[in-house]
Amino acid sequence: MKENCKKNFERISEYLDGELGRDACLQIEQHLMECPECRDCFDALKKTIALCKKSGQEEIPGDMRERLRSKLRDCFSSH
Amino acid sequence: MPKTSPMMEGILSKPLTPQESVTVTAVATDITDHQLISRFKEGSMEAMEAIVDRYENRIFNFGLKMCGQFQDAEDITQDTFLNAFRYLNTFREETKLKNWLFKIATTACIRKRRKKKCEPDHELSLDSFTNTDGTKETYDIPDWTDDPSDKVIQAEMNSVINNSIKTLPHKYKLVFNLRDIEGFSTKETAEILGISIESVKTRLHRARLALREKISRSYQEGKST
Repeated sequence: MKENCKKNFERISEYLDGELGRDACLQIEQHLMECPECRDCFDALKKTIALCKKSGQEEIPGDMRERLRSKLRDCFSSH
Repeated sequence: MPKTSPMMEGILSKPLTPQESVTVTAVATDITDHQLISRFKEGSMEAMEAIVDRYENRIFNFGLKMCGQFQDAEDITQDTFLNAFRYLNTFREETKLKNWLFKIATTACIRKRRKKKCEPDHELSLDSFTNTDGTKETYDIPDWTDDPSDKVIQAEMNSVINNSIKTLPHKYKLVFNLRDIEGFSTKETAEILGISIESVKTRLHRARLALREKISRSYQEGKST
């Protein structure tokens, strides 16, 4: 990886999260337009984050739910 | 805004103070949390259960993503709520209840890991994600399918994602789950974990890069079998 690529690669997450200033954003955007390798890397990272954010959430099982309430009632019913 | 349950309506039937009414539209969730806390302090068990109703699934899922085992996730959920209600008198009004609960849940996860005498965390070095031999690395990341008829594919994707997250070193997994799964900001995550904003950013970036590799590898292996 070239030195310029590495410098941008280190800040890609901050760029994706909107945590960089205007100049730094423009610099990264310019680099992504010029470097197909970094663009692939950027796209894959963006897709990874989107995929993980979409991953399903489990519903707490009914028996665990009941055990939790029962424990809390035992501990705090006379607080 | 979520529909208020009959139980919640009962708990919240006390009129709001004029000060509360002004801000209720903007921060309805926080106002309700604080009202529930007050009711709990006055002895309401319904208020306690309403707080649990609101946050148990999130805390349970956080525990599950951190430990990967249902039993561990149950222990973490119980520890979190027991400690939260035990120390509710130390809860500061300006804090969000959700953030406070996740701080307690994080401590429960760290304690659970210590008890299990797990291997020490290994560092993820940025250099390990950059190819130095001049070859071009390609990553094959699938798109999420929202089609309800693709339930099998969604289940497979969930399994790949969860297994990949599970194998992250603990300190990177904490940051990733708080930032990208639970949606806390960088600053909030730093506060929950008691680390600097810079450390959150560094760990998050490396966790994401590691996941990109793990998910891509699993997906390619799945396609070739």
